[in-house]
Amino acid sequence: MSTPTHSLQRFELTSARRRKDRLARGSIVAATVVALIPLALIVYYLLSKGLGSWSWNFFTTDPTGNTFFAKQSIGGVKSAILGTIEIVALAALLAVPIGVGVAVWLVEYGRDGRFAQLVRFFVDVLTGVPSIMFGLFVYIVLIAGTGSSYAAYKGSFALALLMLPVVTRSAEVVLMLVPAALRESALALGAPRWKVIARIVLPTALPGLVTGVLLAIARAAGETAPLLFTAAATFKTSFSLSGFMNSLPVQIYNDVTSPTTAVVNRAWGAALALVSMILLLNLFARLVSRRSSIG
Amino acid sequence: MSATDPRTDPTTPEIASEMLEPKRQNPAQTGQAGQQQDVSAKPDATMLPRSGLTVTLQALKAFYGDVEQVKGIDLEFRSSEVTAIIGPSGCGKSTMIRCINRMHEEIPGARAEGKVLLDELDVYDPSIDVVAVRRAIGMVFQKPNPFPTMSVFDNVAAGLRLSSGKAGDLEHRVESALRGAGLWDEVSDRLSEPGAGLSGGQQQRLCIARSLAVEPEVILMDEPCSALDPIATLKIEELIDQLKRRVTIVIVTHNMQQAARVADRTAFMLGGELVEVGATEKIFTTPEDSRTEEYVTGKFG
Amino acid sequence: MSTEANAGRAAGLTGAQGRQHFQQQLAELEARALGTLDVVVEQLDRTLEALAHQDVELAQMVIADDDRVDGRYLEVHQGILSLLATQAPVAGDLRLVAALLHVIVHVERMGDQCVNIAKLIPLSGYEPPVRPEVLETILKMGAHARSEVVQCKASFSGRDIALAEDLARQDREINRLNREIFNTALEIGDDPDTREWAMHMILVARALERIGDNAVDVGEQVAFVVTGLFREFSDQANSLDA
Repeated sequence: MSTPTHSLQRFELTSARRRKDRLARGSIVAATVVALIPLALIVYYLLSKGLGSWSWNFFTTDPTGNTFFAKQSIGGVKSAILGTIEIVALAALLAVPIGVGVAVWLVEYGRDGRFAQLVRFFVDVLTGVPSIMFGLFVYIVLIAGTGSSYAAYKGSFALALLMLPVVTRSAEVVLMLVPAALRESALALGAPRWKVIARIVLPTALPGLVTGVLLAIARAAGETAPLLFTAAATFKTSFSLSGFMNSLPVQIYNDVTSPTTAVVNRAWGAALALVSMILLLNLFARLVSRRSSIG
Repeated sequence: MSATDPRTDPTTPEIASEMLEPKRQNPAQTGQAGQQQDVSAKPDATMLPRSGLTVTLQALKAFYGDVEQVKGIDLEFRSSEVTAIIGPSGCGKSTMIRCINRMHEEIPGARAEGKVLLDELDVYDPSIDVVAVRRAIGMVFQKPNPFPTMSVFDNVAAGLRLSSGKAGDLEHRVESALRGAGLWDEVSDRLSEPGAGLSGGQQQRLCIARSLAVEPEVILMDEPCSALDPIATLKIEELIDQLKRRVTIVIVTHNMQQAARVADRTAFMLGGELVEVGATEKIFTTPEDSRTEEYVTGKFG
Repeated sequence: MSTEANAGRAAGLTGAQGRQHFQQQLAELEARALGTLDVVVEQLDRTLEALAHQDVELAQMVIADDDRVDGRYLEVHQGILSLLATQAPVAGDLRLVAALLHVIVHVERMGDQCVNIAKLIPLSGYEPPVRPEVLETILKMGAHARSEVVQCKASFSGRDIALAEDLARQDREINRLNREIFNTALEIGDDPDTREWAMHMILVARALERIGDNAVDVGEQVAFVVTGLFREFSDQANSLDA
């Protein structure tokens, strides 16, 4: 507004500028705090309500199914923890190779072709599908449709379907980040294309791929809906994937509505356990990606 | 065979031309190789029948979809020579050399027509395995790009491991290649360190070693020094001078002084066509075509 | 030329606009070098006049003014070095720069020959025993030499090879006249003063003949600039020099 009489005036930090700066800063900090409040509350509740249920018993005994008689032991959540691990592991085993495979095809072979664009579109759509749909789908196809029973592996299927688009998407992004120059150099050395992918592209993208996979697993581990229609809960620890199997989300779902306080507390403990597992997985994913960022 | 096998002799000098000879040593010429070879040994002693091959382009055209980028080129790259390709941006020189090792067709929608003869063999013949072509015709790119997940040793060995050939005797072949690229002294104590940890000039020489390891007959270089500082550039130019005895070298360059320093013959391209080709000295003192004259004197480009 | 140059321009480039600063420097350097030939012509005119009228003071001026020629020589020489170092000329530009280096040496020699002639004038004393026919021949030689210098400059600035080759023809005339002077001097008679003057005239003739040779050399550079080939124009080796 005012024409500077001295050339240095234009560099001066005016109070108007200072005020604007403080206002902007203030509003951003406020927004951050508002966003963090629910997060903090969740963590607080989890800890305050869940930590109390944690005990040696909690982790080493199966739930006994006695929910009405507080005097008798209600058991822990061992079968749920193990069950979650088993079901999710199988889901990962199914989803990861296929997901990475689709991503490799999209990036290396399909590229911008019509079919590839179609595939990408549908993968994107699938990432947004509510998780219950996958459960219902497996239910209709593998359980109600065929008349066979609930089983753990069917729960894994549902979770795998859930994970598939997530893995594909993140793998595709990571693979695209591998510089074209690397592929070119490898091809120019006289390598067949599949070797270029297997020996150069995938190893270079590995940290990112691992991170993506771990995050997909973390997400799948927490899904309740697909398991409700497919895996069916049982109280005992089971290692048979074709039978019923317990899992943490289902356990929590069942326990939370119980009239017995101890059982409800157990639900909180289980929730805390689940969140902790996911947290550990995330931390591990971070470590992997940080360690391997070469060049 | 010579009494002193260069592969196992630790004092073998770094002269590039000697390093790749063990596999193809011509018995008729080892008369003077009965004794220890010293640093000043004439590299010519290892000259052998297949020292680099002649590459001939016949009516070569290259397309990106419907756009004709290279419009019919007849050109010969002679063995044991360095040929430089100069021309303004967009004239098609990079496209053209990518047709030589069939990298051009890796781009979606791109294709080439015409013949590229490696000696007598047309590399575009449908019965030819493109992977084998790329083993015989190596390429060094503008930006040094060692494989980031690999150590120095693994980078050099990558070519051997990746291509379909046998990867026997890895250590000696890696050492040969590194000596051939003039890099052995600098990295012999850090072979297991990441390749990306070297300086820019060293990285580029590492890429050259990587190409040398598969023992190609021809090496194509697409502006290999444009990302490097002057000292690194000079080292690579000296290296090219040594390598050319063993390998036919084709170098695309924007830098005319470099072409003048390094090349035996120079070809000038404009708008996808070959305008003039001849001895470098002639192109830079008395070019025949006025377009060449205008380009080299800087009137355009 | 025009269609090919247009092709170059059609390739999306700016035509003969690149490196304007360099082209300007090169043109200025050429102008300085060729301009020295004008100075030489001046010197030659004065020398011949001093010869004709036995003007010792004019001869002194010529000797002093050679500094101008030498100064130009150094200037052009330095300009060439600077251009080579900073601009790295190639092709036609390189040939031009190399030619200018030769040209400036020949021009400097021409200047020196004028000085040689001028130095001889006082030696003959104030009233030399002049033989008119000899003097006339000398002045004819001088006129030829002057015309050759002017022509070599024109041929260079116009890059005219035909004009340059014509210099060889003119030079044969000078050589013939030179032989004539020599033969006349041999039979000039017994008078020691006359004989001494005649010897001086032989030296003058030789200097003029050298000026002609240097002009032909400049013409040879014209051919080099245009064609890139260097060849001797005349059979100078065959002429019977003194």
